[in-house]
Amino acid sequence: MKLDRRRFLGSSVGVAAATGVTAEWVWPKHSVSYRRPHSAVAVLNVDEYSERIEALLLDGLRLFRLPVMGRSILLKPNLVEDLPGPVNTNSALIGAAARCFLRLGAVRVVIGEGPGHQRDTELVVQAAGLKPHLAERQIEFVDLNRDELRKVKLKANYSGLGELWLPSAVLESDFVVSMPKVKTHHWAGVTLSLKNMFGIVPGMKYGWPKNLLHWSGIHESILDICATVPIHFVIADGITAMEGNGPLQGSARQLGKIVLADDPVAADATCARLMGFDPLRVRHLSEGGHFLGNLREDRIRMLAEEVGAPTRPFSVLPEFRYLLAVKS
Amino acid sequence: MSLLPRSLEERRLPLGGWSYLNSSQTSVEATSLAAMALSSEASDASGSGIEQLLRLQRRDGGWPAFLGDSEGSWTTALALCALNEMTDFAGAREKAFHWLIAERGREGHWFWRWKFKTADRNVQFDPDKYGWPWISGSASWVVPTAFSIIAIKQFTVCNRSEASEKRIHLGVEMLLDRACVDGGWNSGNSVVYGVPLRPHVEATAIALLALQDERRTEMIQKSLSWLRQNAAIVDSVSSLAWCILSLFVYQEPIGGLKNRLATIVGDGRDIRNNATLATALLALKCGEMIHPFVVLR
Repeated sequence: MKLDRRRFLGSSVGVAAATGVTAEWVWPKHSVSYRRPHSAVAVLNVDEYSERIEALLLDGLRLFRLPVMGRSILLKPNLVEDLPGPVNTNSALIGAAARCFLRLGAVRVVIGEGPGHQRDTELVVQAAGLKPHLAERQIEFVDLNRDELRKVKLKANYSGLGELWLPSAVLESDFVVSMPKVKTHHWAGVTLSLKNMFGIVPGMKYGWPKNLLHWSGIHESILDICATVPIHFVIADGITAMEGNGPLQGSARQLGKIVLADDPVAADATCARLMGFDPLRVRHLSEGGHFLGNLREDRIRMLAEEVGAPTRPFSVLPEFRYLLAVKS
Repeated sequence: MSLLPRSLEERRLPLGGWSYLNSSQTSVEATSLAAMALSSEASDASGSGIEQLLRLQRRDGGWPAFLGDSEGSWTTALALCALNEMTDFAGAREKAFHWLIAERGREGHWFWRWKFKTADRNVQFDPDKYGWPWISGSASWVVPTAFSIIAIKQFTVCNRSEASEKRIHLGVEMLLDRACVDGGWNSGNSVVYGVPLRPHVEATAIALLALQDERRTEMIQKSLSWLRQNAAIVDSVSSLAWCILSLFVYQEPIGGLKNRLATIVGDGRDIRNNATLATALLALKCGEMIHPFVVLR
């Protein structure tokens, strides 16, 4: 058979594709799958941070019939820096969530965070206004940067890290709730419930910031961490969000939403759509849609408001313009 | 204040070291700081902390971040500072010194320097000027670089080789390169995507400790001024304590800051982190005992 250039290229692509499929079959990238046939999401309209949040949130949580009775809950907010602006998950929402889970029958609520840049965790907790909420019974804060650690084999292999030391407070909790601030991110595109889990990686071992995760690939590390520590529920703070040069230096964007979901991929895909982004273009979301949760809209059951396109998409750095959804 | 040393002693683990929080996992940072903080006390707590540090030292001279970890880490510099206070343990200190000299941020490799210079310009810094990472395989950051400079300066004060002089100089250059536009230090870089970053109190205080014997350049003066202003308003125990330790070596007045720290601690603020408790104790004793991070000229 005469092998011309077109045939040669065609054969090469075919061999490469077959090799890729075979490699994925022989050495799968993940050993777990949390994806269910359908996921549930509720988008709550909330204009401001006020005492009304707790009642709204409780009504929203009741839509999901969560199995939290008698269980220990870990709330993982996004507390990064002692900076002004919508950098951190709002403390009114964190406090309200903690009280709601206690009202739903949880025995204990731990608010756990390992700030990524600021070594002085007390400073971040003070600046975020969290201290008054910690005075309440059964609500405790744990500095995940300095908690007791256990070595854990990762349940996915995108980053090549293989294993990570992770905090006992996270590994021992029965029910993990990721509470991100809805923000753009100058390395990852967006920071939502999945990226928020960088905060469980301890600074005492990996530093401030957790730079090894950046060197190992941000999207890859997100996938590995979230495969290893499954997120059971998401409460995303999109009341005042951040656009532009997030996660620290962007501008406030009034979105007026709290997103609740029993699936982190569905939550993040919904948040991305609310931001005017195509979730398929966020690498860790498109890949996470294969095993961490549901990305496709037809697999996401909306319990409350439907997701409409924003009047104006979130502004992004030029490097991330590809995230913008194409108007149909 | 007499309650603080007792409280720290009571939190000592059976093996002699300290964990960060309420666990049995010895932390090298907490143990190093606690051993320094209790060195002037009559009890044997400091000595048992040092013994635990010596047990945790790796064969190659480095220290892991905590008991059970197997990799050398940024805490090697702190452990060396703790041992530098002693006249003994020359072998352990020598090995730690060599580990630090060999360790470098990832920019220390020509390939990454080339990449940062040509392809990756969103973060503005000079990759020729590198220091020390938190953990091998990552880039240089301010706090581990500053602690490493202090430890090496202390260890080589009587006999500084060309190699150690060169490494100290490079680390100092790295700190000055990464300083924020109006003085002070963030965790690493000063400008990302064209936007200047805001300094952190703790990183600024520790970086200034590393630069205490350097020529007072305009950047050091600006940083000192920034720290002085922020020390007056910061309310967290750890940041305030590091301000006191740093401002003292620059002969700045610290009496008012010590009184404020004593008030915060006396008001019963819940200091669960033993590294913070030890740093607070060091700050409150500042001027009354040998400063563990002082660099003699």
